[in-house]
Amino acid sequence: MSEDPYKVLGVTRDVSEADLRKAYRKLAKKLHPDLNPGKKKAEDGFKAVATAYDLLNDPIKRAQYDRGEIDASGGERPRQPYYREQAERDTGHPYADDLGFGGFGGDDIFAQMFGRGGGPNPDRPGADARYRVELDFLEAFNGGKRTLTLPDSRALDVTIPPGTRTGQTLRLRGKGGPGIGKGPPGDALIEVDVRPHPDFRLKGNDIHIDLPLSLRDAVLGGRVIVPTPSGPVAMTVPKWSNAGAVLRLKGKGLVRTGGVSGDEYVTLRLTLPAEPDAELQDFVSRWGKTEHHETQQGVDAR
Amino acid sequence: MMEMREFLVRARVETDVLRSWVATGWIIPEDTEGRWTFRDIDLGRAQLIQDLERDFGVNEEGIVLILDLVDRMSSMRRALGHLAVAIQLQPEVTRKRIADGVREGQRKFEDAAG
Repeated sequence: MSEDPYKVLGVTRDVSEADLRKAYRKLAKKLHPDLNPGKKKAEDGFKAVATAYDLLNDPIKRAQYDRGEIDASGGERPRQPYYREQAERDTGHPYADDLGFGGFGGDDIFAQMFGRGGGPNPDRPGADARYRVELDFLEAFNGGKRTLTLPDSRALDVTIPPGTRTGQTLRLRGKGGPGIGKGPPGDALIEVDVRPHPDFRLKGNDIHIDLPLSLRDAVLGGRVIVPTPSGPVAMTVPKWSNAGAVLRLKGKGLVRTGGVSGDEYVTLRLTLPAEPDAELQDFVSRWGKTEHHETQQGVDAR
Repeated sequence: MMEMREFLVRARVETDVLRSWVATGWIIPEDTEGRWTFRDIDLGRAQLIQDLERDFGVNEEGIVLILDLVDRMSSMRRALGHLAVAIQLQPEVTRKRIADGVREGQRKFEDAAG
């Protein structure tokens, strides 16, 4: 090393101590091998710059050099092997950052490349996309088709199978994220939330409903129309049916694929006419004289 | 591995200074029953700390930051090195496809950046 240290640092011979330091730091930052990976020339350049600086930064040596008593050689700073080279090469040291090839678990660029928990297989299925959908009670009960608008304003046609209930997840194959490489696309997973119905109550697979019943039908029996989730049906009420009696409509509950469908239970609610009926009032007032008889019957029933 | 005495000489550092580096976690020696031993990499790290302090005039906060960034950069470069090896082991057609993919990725990045 015998190059002119002033030239190496790019300064004039009358440079001040402060400017010398400034010039050195500027160059050293660009050349320090620990801070400048991948630059083959950096190491030699840094050595030259550091040696030049060490000479000029020492007032005695600088004066000797200026008088031509010494040349620029021999002042090389003894150095340790550069840190970064070792840090890059070795993994068994405590300074290693955890983003390496450890487990592909982290939120780093490699996890992005290979997918979570992935191996080296470049063809991987795409990610599943998860959505939630709220369904009307009858829509979920009877099933049907529904077009969902996704957050990215794509439309997704969903077939809702009959008997869908809250918490169930519908899987649409291939409607999720795009596949990686030749991998298939992921699935869309749609979690269902069924809104309650004002009249129908679901208990297990069975439907429960209250049915208003006229006094006449309760006493004499007859055919009544009963709503079920799949549409109204006719039902025979036996004569002398009491309030609170429960009738069963077989198979009118929730559809179960491969199983036995639930039933609908109809609870009779005796209902007087909305407007007072003179004839009925008249009749009951006469009939009411045997009231004890009716009460007696009530006791027997218990 | 070397004893503390050897490390002090080779790193040209005072005992107190080394203790403070260990206390702040800048240097992490192997600790066997309270006896410190050092690796070659610790020498390199001590050199970098000295370069930063003495030559670059970086203060303590700056050194913490730089050491952290250098460590991350090293791990990243090591991981990329592994990846490069993995790619080199692929057949020609696969390597070409990856190269095309990289160019495609670059284009997408630049488009996204406007």
